[in-house]
Amino acid sequence: MSPPSAPHPVLRPHAEHEFAHELAALAASDHRERPPSWRLSPWAVVAYVLGGMLPDGTVISPKYVGQRRLIEIAVATLATDRALLLLGVPGTAKTWVSEHLAAAISGDSTLLVQGTAGTAEENLRYGWNYARLLAEGPSEAALVPSPVYRAMRAGSIVRVEELTRMPSDVQDALVTVLSEKTLPVPELASEIQAVPGFNLIATANDRDRGINDLSAALRRRFNTVVLPLPADPDEEVAIVQRRVSEMGVALRLPKVPAADEEIRRVVTVFRELRGGATEDGRVSLKVPSGSLSTAEAISVVTNGLALAAHFGDGQLNAADIAAGIVGAVVKDPVHDTVAWREYLEAVVRDRAGWGDFYEACREL
Amino acid sequence: MTATVKLLGIRHHGPGSARSVVRALDALQPTAVLVELPADCEAALAWVGDQHLVPPVALLGYVVDDPQRAAFLPFAEFSPEWQAFTWAQQHEVVVRAIDLPMRHTLAWSGGDNDELGLTMAVADPLAALAEAAGDPDPERWWDDVIEHRGDGAPAFDSVAEAMTAVRGGRTPSTRREAQREAHMRQVLRRAIADGHERIAVVCGAWHVPALAEPLPAAAVDTRTLRDLPRVKVGLCWVPWTHRRLAATTGYGAGVRSPGWYAHVFEHPGDLGVTRWFVGAARLLRERGISASPDDLIAATRAATTLAALRNRPRPGLAEVLDAADTVMAGATGMSLIERELIVGDAIGEVPDNAPQVPLARDLAAQQRKVRLKPAATAQTVELDVRAPNGRARSVLLHRLRALGVYWGWVEEGRGSSGTFRETWRLLWEPELTITVIELSAHGTTVQAAATHRLLERAASVEALADLVAVLDMALLADLADVVEPVVARVEAQAAHDPDVVQVIDTLGPLARALRYGDVRGTDASALRAVLDGLVVRVVAGVVMACRSLDDAAAAAMVERLAGVQAALALVDHPARRAEWPAVLTIVAERGDVHGLVQGRATRLLHDGGAWNRALVGARLSRALSVGTAPAAGAAFVEGFLAGSGTVLVHDAELLDVVDGWVASLAPDAFIATVPLLRRTFGAFEPGERRQLGLLIANQGAPTWSGFGSDLDAERAAAALATVRQLLGVAVI
Repeated sequence: MSPPSAPHPVLRPHAEHEFAHELAALAASDHRERPPSWRLSPWAVVAYVLGGMLPDGTVISPKYVGQRRLIEIAVATLATDRALLLLGVPGTAKTWVSEHLAAAISGDSTLLVQGTAGTAEENLRYGWNYARLLAEGPSEAALVPSPVYRAMRAGSIVRVEELTRMPSDVQDALVTVLSEKTLPVPELASEIQAVPGFNLIATANDRDRGINDLSAALRRRFNTVVLPLPADPDEEVAIVQRRVSEMGVALRLPKVPAADEEIRRVVTVFRELRGGATEDGRVSLKVPSGSLSTAEAISVVTNGLALAAHFGDGQLNAADIAAGIVGAVVKDPVHDTVAWREYLEAVVRDRAGWGDFYEACREL
Repeated sequence: MTATVKLLGIRHHGPGSARSVVRALDALQPTAVLVELPADCEAALAWVGDQHLVPPVALLGYVVDDPQRAAFLPFAEFSPEWQAFTWAQQHEVVVRAIDLPMRHTLAWSGGDNDELGLTMAVADPLAALAEAAGDPDPERWWDDVIEHRGDGAPAFDSVAEAMTAVRGGRTPSTRREAQREAHMRQVLRRAIADGHERIAVVCGAWHVPALAEPLPAAAVDTRTLRDLPRVKVGLCWVPWTHRRLAATTGYGAGVRSPGWYAHVFEHPGDLGVTRWFVGAARLLRERGISASPDDLIAATRAATTLAALRNRPRPGLAEVLDAADTVMAGATGMSLIERELIVGDAIGEVPDNAPQVPLARDLAAQQRKVRLKPAATAQTVELDVRAPNGRARSVLLHRLRALGVYWGWVEEGRGSSGTFRETWRLLWEPELTITVIELSAHGTTVQAAATHRLLERAASVEALADLVAVLDMALLADLADVVEPVVARVEAQAAHDPDVVQVIDTLGPLARALRYGDVRGTDASALRAVLDGLVVRVVAGVVMACRSLDDAAAAAMVERLAGVQAALALVDHPARRAEWPAVLTIVAERGDVHGLVQGRATRLLHDGGAWNRALVGARLSRALSVGTAPAAGAAFVEGFLAGSGTVLVHDAELLDVVDGWVASLAPDAFIATVPLLRRTFGAFEPGERRQLGLLIANQGAPTWSGFGSDLDAERAAAALATVRQLLGVAVI
């Protein structure tokens, strides 16, 4: 079955639609062995995610920029009988990677369970069509399958987003699924047995507050891959720039020339505080308690753009981003305030060309 | 009669090469084994087979007149050379060392004290071969095709062929390499001439083509080796460790993962990977990290799948590490595995009667120089560190302590660099001799070794207090090369330490170091920059640190505040006049600061001249007015007076404020405050107390100063003598 193409324009097409031609070209040139139910071989999946050029000249765009070994580990894990857990702070492309892996392996990235504090066991197992249940009694037809249920039937990849946001008892509903590869349905005195090719990709955030840690039993069913923050400042600036311009369009913000200089400044501040040292390595710094992720840098810049457009002079300048930065850095009023003040006085004050930013931060 | 010469091209410290060498030797049954090893090391090979010579060990060659110029030749169990020695010893076969002798190689000046280029020129041909094979990583490629092949047929012929192709008939690129290969050929010719029928040559794969038949004319090599410079070289076995074998700790031994290699050597074949995971799981379980048998299965599967995905014949180190990381370990576990299994903590052993190491020789020389003999009975030595010999002795003893050779202990804890007299208790236990040998790998002289050891220690400690201890030790031991990096670490650590109190504690030693210039050769401006940075942190954080303290913490904090002021004064820091008084003002004024701390802050502002008498008087009177709880007022007084009543004796106005406050207390409040006041005033000198009493009784200015009429002439004279000595005035 070929991936159904989207019938009409959508705000955000699924990966398997957006990159359908790449997947098709890869499948055509891929002669290596494929695990059961996989649409591509593991090598081709890695090539799809990391990008490259095929012998027939098709250019595969890179979906993930970063260490090759991480993607190799992730793909190798999915080829074994362990599930994959992608860990990382916000903005490390966990969801992005999981979507593309599912699209490349199963040709379908829509089998998705979003984890929230309100996620119930039915979302992971199955629910009931109560009208039918009352009318006909328990039957297969009255059962409402979850994405996990459907993936087990189809032998494809199911994604669980933000696994640690679910209550712990709901998380543990996955233990049987992952260890026995079956989903018991006691009401019908039957069970669903997973078709080969079934596997699960979960993403989780390991630094935010308000998470429910995985139980040891569940953790054992996962292989963990930690996705790091971008290693290189230019790479991070590019990510922020791209996402900010995308969001500016989506949110219908009045056009403000996104000043490269301010974006670089935000990224520099975040990287330096996150890493506990200035980029030149000369001054070491206290690390604030917030995650200071790329995603937060994006929101600081977007915020600044909105400020500049609606209340400022139409130019993104230091004052527009200062408030956002302080808000992102100072999460804990005692420790983070000290860290921020030290950073301001020891680094920002003396940095050439940063005078306006220093003044703007001092005024807050 | 023609001799059969078998060239066994290896990679130094390659576990697969080691196994192949043994198998090749078993097959060939040579009558002589030639090994790439400096020829003058041959004598030391007599120790091989001694049950107390256990690898990892190293051969240490050093220039007798200049032990700093030295070379270590480390051997592990999995080194092909070591296996060749052992095989020859067990089969009672002659071993010849064929490389250029150290008496020539060490004669070259210019700090070339690596291990005689044992790793030289290997990376390049490997890169060329790996590139031909289409693998970007030469190390990995070599591991795949040679080291991880387990017990498959030895590939020496292929290696020789490949290397010949890579070298392509080129002559050696450097003169030194030409000389080495000429020497190897000369020894080979001699072995053939001696009538050996079957000869095995174990040498770096790179050299194989140079030794292949037909050998060039001997006359050329003789000419190459003519008139080489030479020095007198000493030689001894020293114990070595896997940690030092790892390239990360210097001596360029070029083994990134000795622990892994040892494992590959012991367990070749497909089960090796599983076995390694079993070892890893045991290690993790010992440290309380869970690792189930199910994890082992998953890890083995992941490693195998990864190897397939990466087109490798079998899992190598990278796959094994990635699999362990993703399946069971997590960050703490991985650093544990890295340390214990990949590097490993194996320690070698050498026989007791082995010859002496340069460090011991240098120590003996130093002991003679400062006229301090090691004795097995305890003795006490008084040192005046202002005198040259006293200072030299003190430095030597401190260096030995820094090194870990505990010959002496400073008595009475007078350890600060401000004092000029040290009392040492010395005792040379026989075990210390062994300690010195064990420490020899840290350096060939006491100074170099102590420097290395302290740097190592500084790298291993985290807490600021420990770093400052190292810094203090470096200053006492006069090790300038330690001071700078440790100061940098202090700076870095101070930034991460959320506790400003720790930062304050470092200011004192740093200021002393800067002021008393005990840091010869250290860039004073670097030290100053660090101090400046720390002052910024202290200024930024001290207000927070002064909040919400209990009595004990407040008592410690006032001493720290005084310490900061003293340190700033010592180096006449600009913050002393602007930023520091500003934060002290905040401390003195804030409501949530302990009274004791407020009092001391006020006092420091008074002493520093930042507040005039009127301001101080106003603050004191506010602290002692009705709005303040009597207990807080008493604490303020205690902090303000700082253990001495002199300020009250000299300032009638302040005395009035205190006096007025005591008089104004209601009876209940007075009774509640008396114990606190008694503690404060009880700590004063009797003379001060009497003066204060007189002042309050007379309500007038004192008519005399000093300590009263009951002067003890004898005790005063003793004090006078010390003062004279301090000032350098002749004692009358």
